Amino acid sequence: MTRKSHVRPDRVKVKQQDGNTRRWQVYALMILCGLLFVSGFFLAGRQHFSSMDFGMKNSRLRRQVDELEAEKRRLLLTREFSLSPTEIKKAAKKAGFADQAAVNAWVNQIAAVVKGSAVPQPAVQAKPMIIKTAAVATVKQSRPEVIAKTTRFSGQVKKTEAAE
Amino acid sequence: MKRPYRNKKKNMRQTAFVRFMLIVAVFVIWIGGISVRLVHLQVTQHAWLKGKALDLRQDVKQTRMLRGTIFDRNDRMLATSVRVKTLYADPLEISDTDATAKAVADALKLDALQIAFQIRQGKEANKKFVAIAKKLDDDVAAKANKALDTPGLKKADLPTFTGLHWRDEQRRSYPYQSLAAQVVGFSNAEDEGKAGIEQSQDVVLHGAIIKKLQERDRLGRVYDETTFERDLPSDIVLTLDTGIQYITEQALERGVRAANARSGIAIVMAPKTGEIIALANYPSFDPNTIGEATGDSIGNKAIQSVYSPGSVFKIVTYGSALEKHLFSPEDKIDAGNGTIDVANHLFSDHHTGVMSYAEALAHSSNICAIKTGMRVGRDDFYTMVQKMGFGNKTGIELPAETQGIVRPLNKWNADSLASMSIGYEIGVTALQMTSAFATIANNGVRIGPHVIKEIRRSDEQPKTVKQIQQTQVVTAETARDLKTMLRQVVLSGTGRRAQLNGYTVAGKTGTAWKFDSKTKSIDSSKYISSFIGMSPAENPEIIVAVVIDEPKVGTRDGGMVAAPVFREIAQQILQEMKVAPDAPVRQETVVAKDIPESPSIKKTNNKPSENRPENVKKQVGEAPIGNQKPKDVRKPATKKGVLTGKATAALTKRLDPLDGKRTEETKFET
Repeated sequence: MTRKSHVRPDRVKVKQQDGNTRRWQVYALMILCGLLFVSGFFLAGRQHFSSMDFGMKNSRLRRQVDELEAEKRRLLLTREFSLSPTEIKKAAKKAGFADQAAVNAWVNQIAAVVKGSAVPQPAVQAKPMIIKTAAVATVKQSRPEVIAKTTRFSGQVKKTEAAE
Repeated sequence: MKRPYRNKKKNMRQTAFVRFMLIVAVFVIWIGGISVRLVHLQVTQHAWLKGKALDLRQDVKQTRMLRGTIFDRNDRMLATSVRVKTLYADPLEISDTDATAKAVADALKLDALQIAFQIRQGKEANKKFVAIAKKLDDDVAAKANKALDTPGLKKADLPTFTGLHWRDEQRRSYPYQSLAAQVVGFSNAEDEGKAGIEQSQDVVLHGAIIKKLQERDRLGRVYDETTFERDLPSDIVLTLDTGIQYITEQALERGVRAANARSGIAIVMAPKTGEIIALANYPSFDPNTIGEATGDSIGNKAIQSVYSPGSVFKIVTYGSALEKHLFSPEDKIDAGNGTIDVANHLFSDHHTGVMSYAEALAHSSNICAIKTGMRVGRDDFYTMVQKMGFGNKTGIELPAETQGIVRPLNKWNADSLASMSIGYEIGVTALQMTSAFATIANNGVRIGPHVIKEIRRSDEQPKTVKQIQQTQVVTAETARDLKTMLRQVVLSGTGRRAQLNGYTVAGKTGTAWKFDSKTKSIDSSKYISSFIGMSPAENPEIIVAVVIDEPKVGTRDGGMVAAPVFREIAQQILQEMKVAPDAPVRQETVVAKDIPESPSIKKTNNKPSENRPENVKKQVGEAPIGNQKPKDVRKPATKKGVLTGKATAALTKRLDPLDGKRTEETKFET
């Protein structure tokens, strides 16, 4: 006994059409997945390379910051050097100011010469040797009192000795 | 009919299956092989491969952070570090030594032969580091980079020249050069502090090593960097004021030179806070050129050298007596005939007769001081010495501070109390003595001297270093009486040359014979002259101590040598500190007044009375206290060569033709 299958032609057509649609759907899905996969790779690659690029830029900037900080330090140091008394002295000398120590040495030299001479000079003659740097008012000093006090001490000595 | 077809179909399927299985088997074997290899690589050779990969990609760079900066109280840089570069060669990378040497020599103006020799030596020794040019500034390095640029060479780091590299280093600079050099100190090439604050605060200032993990691409370019930092170094702010320090150093230098002395110390201290505003030593050194400095100039004598203070120590004698209410400044004391015998040791003096305690201190009578000391007694005197801080370190933040020499009571001789009453048989530092005066100035409250104001870190708030300890040493009444007595010293006593224009001064002169460690006896030709004063006298804002070692010109006592230096310093800095004058301001500026005494005065052999050898049995200073008793110092004073105040006055008047008014300033003996 043989069985004969009879499929209606319209049904076959519909079935074929369904198969074609599904196939296209599968293809489309595969293409989509492929695209997603490729674009994922593409994006990841791009991000990787851009992060590397950023990293390099960052590294360069860090180095630049370090260099600028070092430069700032150097400039501050240079400023401090130029503000140091030794440098100011040099600058003053260049500007034509006289060195205080040299002036003192000069005065000392004159003083030594004057004091070295055994003959006392009148105060009037000695005056030109004195460099007056400001208005000078005579200072009232308590010399007579001090001498008196010294004398009193001597007096006391005598008294004490006498008492003893 | 259909069976052969079915069989054929079955065979095809079988064949396909077998083929498929073959392919699967091939794939399984292939993947299995790969897996086995992968397992082998990742398990057994994991460490080696990881290391190799990291080596290719990562670079570990170690640099030292810049050492902390030292500032003065006004934020002036006293010491700072800057980044510099050292050019080095890796001889193993260099093929043409002579060409490299020539290129480097041209770029940096060095000797090509020398460089070639260095590289060859490095090659022979298989070295990877041969320093070519050390510690170059950035601008020099940039010029060298330009000169050494090799076009076409793919090298990530500069200079683009095969076998040459830069190494980051730092250089310590001291912009104010010799200013406060003994306080600031210096550090060596390895960033280790070797003196001063640099040494004592090395842990704080020290620049930690930072590790940088750099990720590099195939061309060696850094694309990622991770920095591992340890504690950041701190900056230190000192209590010093560069302006005042400069004034002090200049005045000290002039004083030492005028006296033709060996060295000098000057300290400026704020008694109310214990802050050291200036601390000067002469001779000094420049820390930038430490190789040229002499050993003698590097040490901070203000805290490291011990000397016999002489008469300045009398403040302890009179202070302890005042504390015991044994006298008031106006009470009288009899100096007798100017001699006193204590345990067969005859002390003599030229001050005789009855005088007030204030006058005794003003004229620095040794006999009166000895008598006062004897009344105080050994125990109380010793207690006061200790309370004033002698025999102990002051605690200042500077290295190698000595505690001085104070013998315990059980080692005192019968005449030790008498000797100590006039400042002998004891060794003090200049800072200890200054601190004792600051205690008196601060109404009897002792505040430890300190030189650090604050420590700063970039990531946190500045913090002051420590709570300064305050101790009431003597009562405010005692301190006031002592100040009154010290005022008399400057008004009418040995310290008249310390008088200021517009400000009152209280202070004391001191002159002590030096102990010669070679001969183990007093050297009568060597003095230490000092003056320590405070101003304004009523409410002192500053203490200035001046110690001159071995003056060789003039009468050489503290009043002649050190007091003028005090005057020069105090006069300027009080104005600088904007302290309101408390005395009439007179208009005077006569340069001649500052002229030191002529060496001709030396011929008069007028020795400072307070330091005649006969008054000094033992000395301390350069050697520890011993029991040696020089024969000559036990002899009573001889009149020969010793001038009384009156005689000196006559002499100086005759010798001083410049200005008759000046003579009174030179006639007083200590």
